[in-house]
Amino acid sequence: MGAAQVVILCLAGLSLLLSAVALRRDKVPVWRFAPPEEIPSQGTPRFETVFEYDITEGQAHAPSLVVTHKGFELLWFEGSAEAQADVDIHFARFERTDEGWLKADQGTRISRAALGAAMEPGQLVVTLGNTVENEARPGHVFATVVSVGGWAMASVADVKMGPQGPVSARKLNLSPFLNRSHLVKSPMVKFADGSYGLPAYFEMGATHGALVRFTKDGRVRDTVRMSGEGKPIQPMIVPLTETHAVAFLRDFDPSGQVLRCETPDGGQTWTDAAPMAMHNPSAPVAALSLGHGLILMAANDEAAPNDRLSLLLSQDEGETFHPIEELAPQGAGARYPMLRTLADGTILLTFSVGNKKGLRVLAFNSDWVAVQ
Amino acid sequence: MTEQATQASVAVVLGWVVFAVTALVLPAWLALICAVASGGVCATIWRKTVAVNGFVALLAPFGIMLPALALRDVAVEFGLPVPGFALLEILLFLLLYTGFLLAAFGKLPFDFYRYGYAPKPVAIMVLVICFYSLLTGNWFLAAVAVIAQGIWTLGWGSSNWLDHVLHVVLWPVAAVVLLTQLI
Repeated sequence: MGAAQVVILCLAGLSLLLSAVALRRDKVPVWRFAPPEEIPSQGTPRFETVFEYDITEGQAHAPSLVVTHKGFELLWFEGSAEAQADVDIHFARFERTDEGWLKADQGTRISRAALGAAMEPGQLVVTLGNTVENEARPGHVFATVVSVGGWAMASVADVKMGPQGPVSARKLNLSPFLNRSHLVKSPMVKFADGSYGLPAYFEMGATHGALVRFTKDGRVRDTVRMSGEGKPIQPMIVPLTETHAVAFLRDFDPSGQVLRCETPDGGQTWTDAAPMAMHNPSAPVAALSLGHGLILMAANDEAAPNDRLSLLLSQDEGETFHPIEELAPQGAGARYPMLRTLADGTILLTFSVGNKKGLRVLAFNSDWVAVQ
Repeated sequence: MTEQATQASVAVVLGWVVFAVTALVLPAWLALICAVASGGVCATIWRKTVAVNGFVALLAPFGIMLPALALRDVAVEFGLPVPGFALLEILLFLLLYTGFLLAAFGKLPFDFYRYGYAPKPVAIMVLVICFYSLLTGNWFLAAVAVIAQGIWTLGWGSSNWLDHVLHVVLWPVAAVVLLTQLI
């Protein structure tokens, strides 16, 4: 046996030791969703417009809701145009008072320069996109970050926020191709062990949705793909039981329909995404479970890109939907809805209007949905 | 530590580029001085410039294999006995890595990359590499795999071990080496 072989055997021994450490530290993801809770009744139907924001120049788009102790924070990207090198993440913070919703603050939340400086390793940030709350780590958000190229070269960054902006940030490791082409759009999914999964999507080539699982310190621990017909992106996952969930995906191909897939095993495997009987102009949808198999959805429900936005209800676990309210009429340029619930049963809905020229936030409750 | 590891990678990779170019016209020892100086300056004094920040944004995570190969190339130039790879090994690597990337792009119906997140598959992959290294006597390959496992276990850099032992830049590098050896 030569010296090289002795060195290699020593390295193999060291590897066994490292594996023992890694295995001892590892927590295998639990593949059971947190059972969906019924949204509590507030007694009387309520529906109100909380926020109307319009701009005359540039674009404001992809609004997202972050739930806070006193209410919620709205995040969106704004700049001269989508994917340009002057786009930052803006915010408006809302608190509930006896008189209703109060806008407590508004401004820039994440600038490209601040995020680039906070990133570890430090690096260039050219533009920013869809940003969602990291529900697993209070004070964190997931931001879509572009350092080189366009959206197909984007990465998802876990950003720790402070009062003045980003404190620290690091890109999630989701792809072996320079860690590129992953984006986020929809809220996280809660699992039975208290952890959360992040719906993400791969936008280069043969696109696919992904469900990302994390270690307790926020590093990527596993990913599962959602692929199938068309070009599925922007998965919106709605758990129905501990093991059964349905996902609605935007078809990046202009098929004119929403794609749908299901998991029977807590998200470990997904059926092939296939078109469902619902028109859609290649736009993302938002959805949430109301309990008892009811699913509320906000979606552009026309095949033509007129950008009418409707609120729809499914009574058969997302197989079919019927409209219950037209939120924005044809030609309103309404897009990119997001739905979230607050602890008191308030349902929040946000979307952009006027072809990225404005934002809306609506608040209503399950009692209002019930009487539609 | 991710920032420090990145700085080291920037110094080595950029230094290697300078070494490869300057060694064409200068003696190896002088090229090495140029490489160390330029790599060091880029990784420290110029680290926060747009150019180096852009370089990091483009290529990070660098992993272990890319800088290790750069260091090996320089070491071999100075006559140090660091084992390399045979023509057949490079060809096989290119084929397997192409399949791996195609799978990552969804062009093949499996996702090998996800196995790099979990300790058990990583343990198996590292031991397979050590076994192969034992058969061929290539301690360099085993060292890269185990150092990568150590860094991965410490939680530095990518949370996927495969990012530590692979890098997209390896594809064109391997293709060029293969072509030059064939010619």
